[in-house]
Amino acid sequence: MGMSTAYYLTLQGKRVLILEAGIFGAGASGACDDMILFQSKKPGINLELAFESLELYHALNVDLKHDLGFENYGGMVLIKDQKELEIMEEFVQQQRMYGLDVVMLDEKEMRKRQPHISSRFIASTYSPMDAQIDPFHVMYGFFHVAKNLGLEYRKKTPVVGIEKQGNGDFRITTQSGEVFEATQVVNAAGTWAGEIAAMVGENVPITPKRGQIIITEKIPMVGETNLWSAEYLVSKLRPEVKTEISEEHKALGLGFAFTRSFGGNYLIGSTREYAGFDTRTTMEGVNAIVKQAVSYIPLLKDIHFIRAIAGLRPSTPDGKMILGEHPDVPGFYTASGHEGDGISLAPITGKLLSDMMCGAPSDSRLEELSPVRFAVVKGEQVQ
Amino acid sequence: MSDEVKDPKDVLICRCEEVTLREIEQAIDEGFDTVNDVKRITRAGMGLCQGRSCSKVIARIIAQRTGKNIEELLQNSYRYPVRPEKFKIFDEEESHE
Ligand SMILES: Cc1cc2nc3c(=O)[nH]c(=O)nc-3n(C[C@H](O)[C@H](O)[C@H](O)COP(=O)(O)OP(=O)(O)OC[C@H]3O[C@@H](n4cnc5c(N)ncnc54)[C@H](O)[C@@H]3O)c2cc1C
Repeated sequence: MGMSTAYYLTLQGKRVLILEAGIFGAGASGACDDMILFQSKKPGINLELAFESLELYHALNVDLKHDLGFENYGGMVLIKDQKELEIMEEFVQQQRMYGLDVVMLDEKEMRKRQPHISSRFIASTYSPMDAQIDPFHVMYGFFHVAKNLGLEYRKKTPVVGIEKQGNGDFRITTQSGEVFEATQVVNAAGTWAGEIAAMVGENVPITPKRGQIIITEKIPMVGETNLWSAEYLVSKLRPEVKTEISEEHKALGLGFAFTRSFGGNYLIGSTREYAGFDTRTTMEGVNAIVKQAVSYIPLLKDIHFIRAIAGLRPSTPDGKMILGEHPDVPGFYTASGHEGDGISLAPITGKLLSDMMCGAPSDSRLEELSPVRFAVVKGEQVQ
Repeated sequence: MSDEVKDPKDVLICRCEEVTLREIEQAIDEGFDTVNDVKRITRAGMGLCQGRSCSKVIARIIAQRTGKNIEELLQNSYRYPVRPEKFKIFDEEESHE
């Protein structure tokens, strides 16, 4: 979010400094899948903004003069029983009403597009819209253009304090004791955004949800599209419906995702675990992902995986990002909490925020994303 | 394509991902002065061998260009798995239980 916001701000002529605690892409954006995924989104603001973000990606692919690794393989959600089928049919219907191009496929049509999947699957969805982009190339593309427009970027420079001064400006202190002054501050610290907000006494309730994924060696295309399973989606949409997910998988929050990346490696995931700020991969996590992958696509048993990674999805209590100015601290903005959608929503987030910061007329749709919804009345305990 | 490299800057530093010396130097000049940074920008070291062959060369190029200490540059955390693993191995382990 930081890079995207910096890019749009420099385009509007602002002087921007990024203070990054780690190295380039140190957070979730450097340890995630690459999907601009529509099918997983509930109709509402997230889906709406995802459409707008896709439009921006099309423009960025040209404007950034850098190959962003944009691909449009489409996606299928695999369904294994009648219960899942009914729920997915209803969900697809709602998404269609919202303008998403998505259909149900029967078993024959599904196998035509995906001949290698296990016989357990009975049907699937299909959307030609699901696309993908390489997160590193996106961050680098933003960086490169913004730098030419005056962006200053400091790596390994954690922010340790922010103080609002009498004249309204902010004093930002880094770990090494350097001090910067600014009239506006953006909190784009992802999973760690709560810590930054606390420095100015604000409440930004973000919980890290760890995701582990494995990366395969380069292999030829497996079927025509990227794949997900309905199991996890159904468990989220309809928690009351009994599923046969094992306790172990439930604890790991295992949901199948199989996507071809820039360069021909496949990313296979992923888990959704509450493990604090721990970004390590675990044997249990990797093991569960591998076993599930082989049972869903048996031909994978003979290929290699070259790496396992883990990142922290910044999740909020209501599943919506936190975007906008904090009214109690004028000039302080937050853009965090995108959970599993931050890659697809990065351009639109940066664009909307830079518009807000440059005084564009407010967009009423964004009220539901405002940090106000989590503001703590002074004197009350933070929950 | 001929095998002969005309410009020394076109020499491949990372063969798995086909990253040239020019691309690596460009990243360093933009301030990406650690092996991990270079990897993220150029994909050098992200391929099948996971940097086992090129990490040291990249560290040396960074050291030469920036004057940084090469030992420090090489203190680079290797990630799991250390070597590529076959999926099947995991499956078999399980079935012995
Ligand atoms: C396994 C996995 C798969 C995913 N797949 C997808 C996908 O397919 N599609 C999709 O759209 N999204 C996906 N996501 C979600 C996406 O990765 C995140 O939503 C997104 O990267 C969040 O971006 P961010 O900029 O908010 O946070 P981050 O990328 O985490 O950036 C926050 C930055 O703040 C820095 N920071 C923290 N504290 C400080 C401090 N005190 N001072 C200075 N800097 C600080 C951190 O070092 C970090 O670089 C996935 C996530 C995971 C983990």
